[in-house]
Amino acid sequence: MHFFVQELVNGITTGSLYALLALGYSMVYGILKLLNFAHGDLYMIGAFMGYFVIQWFGGAMALTIPVPLLLLFMFVIAGGLTGVLGVAIERFAYRPLRDAPRIAPLITALGVSFFLENAVLLLFGSQTRVYNTPDFISFSTGIHIGVLQIDIVRIMVIGLSVILMIGLRLLVSRTRLGKQMRAVAADREAAEMLGINVDYTIAATFFIGSVLAGVSGVMAGLVFNQVYNLIGFVAGLKAFTAAVVGGIGSIAGAMLGGLLIGIAESMITGYISSTLTNLIVFGILIVMMVLRPQGLLGRAPLQKV
Amino acid sequence: MSDLPPAESQTQSITGPQVGVDEWVMRAGGRRQYAPGWRGDVQRRTDKVGWWPRLALAGIAGALVPFVLGNQFQLQVGINALLLALLAVGLNIAVGWAGLLDLGYIAFYGFGAYGFALLSSDQLSTAGVHLPAILSLPIVMVAAAILGLLVGLPSRRLLGDYLAIVTLFFGEAFVEFTNNVAPSKLGGPNGIFALDPIHSFGVQILSNKGYFYLLLVLLVLTIAVLHLLDTSRTGRAWRAVREDPLAATLMTIPVNRVKLMAFSFGAVVAALAGAVFAAQQASVFPTDFDTPFLILIYAALILGGAGSMAGAVLGGLVVGVTLDGFLRSSTEAGYIFYGLILLTLLVKMRPWRKLALVLGSTVVLGFALHAIVKAISPSAVAGGPQSSGWIASALHSWVIVPQNPTTAGNIGFVVLICLLIALVQIHGRWRTIVLVPTLYLAACVWEGRLVAEPSITRQILLGAILIVMMNARPQGLLGSRRVEVV
Amino acid sequence: MKGRLLLTATALTALIAAGCGSSSSSSSKSASAGTSAAAGGSSSKCNAAVGFEGPITGQVAMLGAEQLHFAQLAVSMDNTANKTNITLVQGDTQLMPAQATTVTQQFISNSKMVAVVGPAGSQEVEAVGPLFGRAGMPFITGSATAAALTTGKNPTFFRVVSKDSVQGPQDAHYIVNTLHPKSLLLVDDQEAYSTGLVSAMTPVFKAAGINVDHESVSQKITDFSSLISKVTPQTSVVVLPWQVAANAQQLGRNLAEQHKKAVIFGTDGLFSPGTFTINGSYVSSFGPDITSIPADKAIADAAKAKFGSYGTFGPPVYAATHVIDQAIASVCKSGQTPSRSNVLAAIKATNEPTSILGQPIKFDSHGDLVNGKFFLFKINAKGQYKQIPSA
Repeated sequence: MHFFVQELVNGITTGSLYALLALGYSMVYGILKLLNFAHGDLYMIGAFMGYFVIQWFGGAMALTIPVPLLLLFMFVIAGGLTGVLGVAIERFAYRPLRDAPRIAPLITALGVSFFLENAVLLLFGSQTRVYNTPDFISFSTGIHIGVLQIDIVRIMVIGLSVILMIGLRLLVSRTRLGKQMRAVAADREAAEMLGINVDYTIAATFFIGSVLAGVSGVMAGLVFNQVYNLIGFVAGLKAFTAAVVGGIGSIAGAMLGGLLIGIAESMITGYISSTLTNLIVFGILIVMMVLRPQGLLGRAPLQKV
Repeated sequence: MSDLPPAESQTQSITGPQVGVDEWVMRAGGRRQYAPGWRGDVQRRTDKVGWWPRLALAGIAGALVPFVLGNQFQLQVGINALLLALLAVGLNIAVGWAGLLDLGYIAFYGFGAYGFALLSSDQLSTAGVHLPAILSLPIVMVAAAILGLLVGLPSRRLLGDYLAIVTLFFGEAFVEFTNNVAPSKLGGPNGIFALDPIHSFGVQILSNKGYFYLLLVLLVLTIAVLHLLDTSRTGRAWRAVREDPLAATLMTIPVNRVKLMAFSFGAVVAALAGAVFAAQQASVFPTDFDTPFLILIYAALILGGAGSMAGAVLGGLVVGVTLDGFLRSSTEAGYIFYGLILLTLLVKMRPWRKLALVLGSTVVLGFALHAIVKAISPSAVAGGPQSSGWIASALHSWVIVPQNPTTAGNIGFVVLICLLIALVQIHGRWRTIVLVPTLYLAACVWEGRLVAEPSITRQILLGAILIVMMNARPQGLLGSRRVEVV
Repeated sequence: MKGRLLLTATALTALIAAGCGSSSSSSSKSASAGTSAAAGGSSSKCNAAVGFEGPITGQVAMLGAEQLHFAQLAVSMDNTANKTNITLVQGDTQLMPAQATTVTQQFISNSKMVAVVGPAGSQEVEAVGPLFGRAGMPFITGSATAAALTTGKNPTFFRVVSKDSVQGPQDAHYIVNTLHPKSLLLVDDQEAYSTGLVSAMTPVFKAAGINVDHESVSQKITDFSSLISKVTPQTSVVVLPWQVAANAQQLGRNLAEQHKKAVIFGTDGLFSPGTFTINGSYVSSFGPDITSIPADKAIADAAKAKFGSYGTFGPPVYAATHVIDQAIASVCKSGQTPSRSNVLAAIKATNEPTSILGQPIKFDSHGDLVNGKFFLFKINAKGQYKQIPSA
């Protein structure tokens, strides 16, 4: 039983990170119908920024400020920077292609992803940067019941993800901006005719999605410790998967999809074999998509006649 | 449809939007009109030439290439480019014609390679299976066709991006499978090696030149077969399904069967390419069939123009030759870098006066800054251009490269990106003014930092070229704009 | 639109034609375009190009960049010492055999190139070995250790590290005889290096009656908590024949996080004093810590100053490059112009009494190191590597 709970917690931690990243994917997709492959790279840049903040304040071993303040700085700086970067990418690479064939922005997104990954390699070098989280947040904090060992960082990641997801949900359903986002997602031309500033709304969506990516990058750095220029690729692929499985465009779906994949990976590793984890996960997902083509919480697309 | 940009070759008779007439339809005649002057004459003449003389001409031109390309490396680049072209042509069936976003395409390529490897090595039994190519290639292609049908099955129910993700899973699963399952047969990460070359009736292909010609012949044959298919009922059905599946159903087109056929034909072409690749490399490994190469195939197809076979070939050749032929050496990467900048200016900057002004000011700015900085601190310009050849000597007292350019180069790189983004935001005179320092900084960053890291620069340039090209021409080099049903 | 397209197409064709022309006429120029090292004596005439193949970008860029840096360092130091003018041309393979094939053809077509350092992976050597063999080009790897590479099929192949079938059993015997585990967890990273060592170690464990739990995780994975949850109290050793030290460090943290007591035993890929610092772990390596060898101090300091921290992949590439540099220098000293055949002969005759790796370098007829030794280290609480005297 403890083993099950342990694996469940492991799965939920990775799953909530996938979910957080999937949210950004889903938001951008919902509004532009664009698979933003550069999203994972913003996550990577967020993780790098978090690392530099730690170094700035003395490094993991000799912090000059209290830990909560450090975490706050990390999230704000990483989130802010990736947010701005996301808006810049939208302006520079995607906006001119808004009316182009669907597949053109896809290739542009891949180009942006290539560019960011290798620009980071050029600027920051190839060696893996390490957060060394245990040096400032001890393993002895957290829940320890017999075999069950849950670190405080994991609890924090899960908690923060839940808060962000709820916040985002409220933003989309309750605020004026959220209403505009939904309008633009439903029909861009009609929204424009109704006087909604489409450019602004799309930029705002990119900003929020990119901030989420940066924040989840920092969280990934805290839990997984390692940062290098390609961590975004795998994470981005997982998040994309989570977004589609949950029903792309649906916020609750992205959360569900992320958690589902995280837990499935962890359980298969725990109970079957790590060798076949990816193969089995892919198998499950294929079957699931065939049985429910629009994703778990997605709505079947309306056919325009 | 009001947001469509006006077609440039609009004819005189059309004055403006008319009530009851769809603008796109109305301009259809205008788009078909030939350009005025000699260009129109050339177009009219070339249009009269049938498709097969054109293909034959292109094939003959290709066959002459090895006489120009002397060494093994250039032949290898040619082989890589032809492989990419063949793969792009195959991908075009599903993506360009039938409109199905197939992200598992790379798995068929790998399947062909592994299939050929198993049939041409000691892997399956102790004595080994060593079929001649005349048998092994058809076996692999038929198997790939069946696999294509199986993978295409979900397309009966899945639409658009949902299909994309399922096929992506399939592609990833293929790599996982070859890496982890049955290592005694599939070799795991060690792959399968010591494969037979392509051989039949006592003839075997061993040289790079041989594989170049083999690929050329296969490419021409594939294009011919696919052209016949494209102009047949099946081809028209594919386009109908791409444009509007619902309308296609109403016209009694068996939509599902047509989609499955697209998958299947694509799979066969990819498997063929994979088998030749395996034979030429004489070995197969899981890592060669991973997502990065899939991205290249897509880039080739979309760059060339999805939906157009000539575009797919051109895209494959351009991407293959650029990536392996030019960007691997920093001298030629320099030509590409400076060449693309000049080309962009040439195409985008009008009138010519303005262009001359910008280039002139950039040159003057460089010499002036260089002289000033040198007077203040000689070590700040002590690095000199790091590329070699005539470009370096030409730029010697123009670019500013410090003694130890790594940090300064990195800062310059970031500033350069900021300037580029700023250039998009501003307009008019300010854009022209900011353009001058941007150009100069680009040259400095190139000479000071990017040339020193040719491998990383190669990847950065690839990304930048994709972004710029797609923005400049979203429908691809030879693609045509078409109305998208949203 | 059409006009602009035509213009673009024309310009593109012209560009391609120009590029083709220049690349066919000036393959010698492109050779020197790589990272040219500072020429030692301007009066010397010992010119030669050496190629470098490694994963400079891509998933294991940290490995390839370190190798590249040490190769550059070796060339520049040896140029100064030997008064040679050797240039190093880099070729990125991303650890993909298909790319290694293209790079190899590029190097073979370069008439000035006499030898190559690399490629990094065993699967790449499998793919390009025949090409190098046909061209008569010597190539020395610092990290491809699959036993199958030196069965005589690659006549121009050399390596400065011992093969899996030497290291695997040696490490396995140490684990069996000294650590006495009842059961152990053996995790490969789905790369050729790792699976080779696993298959060399497993028979030894089986023969000793140890319960082996074999798992495998991709190098791209960065969280091992669900794998670690499977470590039972009986499992006292986790064996990691991995290439990425940072991954092992994370696995060690996951062990500590879940308060598991198992000890990590890593192979040479984990030898990385700056990165892998889990207290009480064992690491086997093909050489002693180069910072602890007085003769290597100059190299270690130069590397530290130029590239910051480094791990296990640099020093053997330094050794490999050094072997090539010395071979070229000896050819020049004998009054010949360096060519592939005479450099190959000089490499075959290599007999260095000592090297950066702390042991003599001498190749057998198949290109393997003669008497390659492995050194064992235990990491202490401060993260320092302490050599265990060999029994």
